[in-house]
Amino acid sequence: MSSHAWRPVVVIVAVVIAGLVVRQMIIPKDFTAKNGDYKYQWHRASNEDEWKRMEPKHMGRDFCQQCHPDKIEAVADSGHQHVQCENCHVQFDPEKRGHKTIDLKADYKYQLDIGIDRSRELCKRCHSQLKYRPSVYTNFSKGPIPFKMIDPEKHNAGVECVMCHDVHKTGFKTGVK
Amino acid sequence: MKLTRRELLKMGLISICGAVIPVSAFEVFKPEALASLIHPFSKKKRWAFVVDTTKCVGCGMCVKACKLENDVPFYADIQRTWVERYVQRKGGEVIIDSPRGARYGFTANDPQGRTDVPEDDISKGFFVPKLCNHCEKPSCVQVCPAGATYKTEDGVVLVDRKWCIGCGYCITNCPYFARFFHPVYNTADKCTFCYHRITKGRKTACVEACAFGVRKIGLLNDPDSEVFNIVKTERVAVLKPEYGNEPHVFYIGLDHIVR
Amino acid sequence: MEAGSINESVHGALWTIRELYTYPNEYMYWTVHIVVYPFLTGLVAGAFVLSSMYHVFGKEQLKPVAKFSLVFSLALLIMAPVPLLFHLTQPFRSINIMLTPHFYSAIAAFTLVYLTYMAIVMSEIWFVFRPFIVKNALEKTGLMGLIYKVMTLGSYDVSETALHTDEKIIKVLAAVGIPAAAFLHGYVGFIFGSVKTVPLWKTPLMPFIFLMSAIISGVAICIITYTVGMSLTRKFICGASIRSMAKVLSMFLIIAFMLEGIDIVFHAYTAEEFWGILSELLFQRFAFKMIVIQWVCGMILPMILLFIPNVSILRAFISACLVIIGVFMMRWDVVIGGQSMSRSFAGFLNYKLPILPTSIEAFREGLFAVIILLVAPFVLLFIFNKVLPVFTEVFTEEECKLSEGK
Repeated sequence: MSSHAWRPVVVIVAVVIAGLVVRQMIIPKDFTAKNGDYKYQWHRASNEDEWKRMEPKHMGRDFCQQCHPDKIEAVADSGHQHVQCENCHVQFDPEKRGHKTIDLKADYKYQLDIGIDRSRELCKRCHSQLKYRPSVYTNFSKGPIPFKMIDPEKHNAGVECVMCHDVHKTGFKTGVK
Repeated sequence: MKLTRRELLKMGLISICGAVIPVSAFEVFKPEALASLIHPFSKKKRWAFVVDTTKCVGCGMCVKACKLENDVPFYADIQRTWVERYVQRKGGEVIIDSPRGARYGFTANDPQGRTDVPEDDISKGFFVPKLCNHCEKPSCVQVCPAGATYKTEDGVVLVDRKWCIGCGYCITNCPYFARFFHPVYNTADKCTFCYHRITKGRKTACVEACAFGVRKIGLLNDPDSEVFNIVKTERVAVLKPEYGNEPHVFYIGLDHIVR
Repeated sequence: MEAGSINESVHGALWTIRELYTYPNEYMYWTVHIVVYPFLTGLVAGAFVLSSMYHVFGKEQLKPVAKFSLVFSLALLIMAPVPLLFHLTQPFRSINIMLTPHFYSAIAAFTLVYLTYMAIVMSEIWFVFRPFIVKNALEKTGLMGLIYKVMTLGSYDVSETALHTDEKIIKVLAAVGIPAAAFLHGYVGFIFGSVKTVPLWKTPLMPFIFLMSAIISGVAICIITYTVGMSLTRKFICGASIRSMAKVLSMFLIIAFMLEGIDIVFHAYTAEEFWGILSELLFQRFAFKMIVIQWVCGMILPMILLFIPNVSILRAFISACLVIIGVFMMRWDVVIGGQSMSRSFAGFLNYKLPILPTSIEAFREGLFAVIILLVAPFVLLFIFNKVLPVFTEVFTEEECKLSEGK
């Protein structure tokens, strides 16, 4: 075959080689198929550490105890013993953030946005009457108890729950009957 | 060079064989793959999850905690975990809903926003929390063209936010729709089993936030873990087993109407 | 209570309307660009097959369109992956597919298949146009001259033997190109066919369905472009060429029709768990698009038009237009229709194409982007035509008459 016919082949080979060289240069060094599992573990190995390095944000009760031991003590003894502080106190709505800002950026790299939500909506998430809600609370440390549910339309509609109820002690506030 | 027909045929055959041999080398027979069909518990470290739907009250605190923990914008309608409500009427009609992924919980009897479903007409109803199933054979990982999503050695499926190209093939291939595009990072995103927490010895945010003991996380290879003991001794089911992904979120109290 | 602006940034929320129960993360993630992409690659495959019919099988009547369809397939090929760049949420990382390909994924092989095919098409064009390029490289000066000089790749050998070799190589390349084109497009079908979570897609027939509709759309677009191009330049439109193309079109039309029919019948016959929702989709929501446009207008009507003997140019032109509309609608029905069915099998997703480019996302995924993408191959063809004129070998009336008998 005359020489001209090989020229496209030369061009193609040159492009392929150039591509492979560039690829070798910019591909991350730690890209591997771990355990030889190319199907499910072909990845950049350092990404695992990137995920591991993220800081926990949901701090749990022990963290809050540092400043509010009295509240934690009361809750731990009540029916709300398994309800984490964050469940009720984390606020995504800026208007509801009442707590003074705790700057955790130094330690935990984030801003804790908490406050007090007194709306009935919050309590209704667990306590509004629904036929298909389990009627017995089995997780209570003192044995199974009936799960308290109310019909929000009939049970003192329009009044904040915390007017009568002490949510930390799960009972009525002193002086209310 | 002059090609006769015979030579062309010969060259063609050789090139086909040459192409086939390396391809077949990808899948070598693995005895342990066969063994896994018989023994459902692997000996290696493996994270797994148990959801006890009989205890779930649908408060949605897990969804809220997850959104806080994992920087998924709270007001965006995408969730790493969500809670579904199943209501079956006496006539047999099934109504399913998950308003805003249940991040505000279920506070009224209004399945799919309907007010025409009185409580006496409901024959059964329950809540089913969902999250990524961290499958043993994740179809989403299989189809990622760039190796941007993968299964870790301990069985957690993760996404590489710096490598994902955003083609959406993984999202399309997840039978459970546990994946979505993160509105901030613009890459595929999903539940990580709170990998940053479980590797530090903590529980996931959703497990911690659940006051009812619905959710449990643990190691399947650890004989002392609650998850292992439940899977070992109780009747658990997985979602959509027909896809063959071998999901590792086990459910107690699953029903045939659950999608 | 809801901050709407955050929700708008959720990819998919802009164009998806959900009905009944869909999973909270369920949006239409594969949108109009995934409709345009197989449509364009389909045209590539069809146009290439047409040019190969002349080069390999020596169909004389196709001589006027042989060069054109070859160059057109290159123009289409260059534009084919562009919709994907519009579709990706991280388009600048698209190179990652080439850097760390994961061949268990159907998409990963795309670059390999695509580049191989590109190499075949480009080399074939080089060999076909070599005498022309050499001639111009010697004659022209200035920028054009330089372009042609580069295009010669340094070889000015246009001797009898060299041209004879070229002809043989063209034949081999055209022959190799047919399976490559089939692979490129069948492969696009495989991307859909292998998605096990979407019942409408999951069928091993998908590559063949895509391939057949690809070929009919490619032949049809060549009929249209040839007719329009000839009319615009006031050249003679050869009825023999048109009839030859129409014959190819009608043959593949039958196969495409059969395959798509089998697919639906098979779904209806086997898919108990989702046939309820699928039939609602086919016969209610997509009834007009699928039955009226895709099947009646896009397949049955052109088939009738083409099978009535003595196909006139106008009749072929009309059928080609119908086929193109039908095939585009078929892509739409497959991609959008497949995802319209919620994976919970208990709800629907409706797709609303963003029209006005009110935001970057609305433009990127919207009507204007689609129009740009569909017009671009023709613009590219226009530019290519300036460098490599594709309509130089059109028949005169006598030549046309002569070729009819062959």
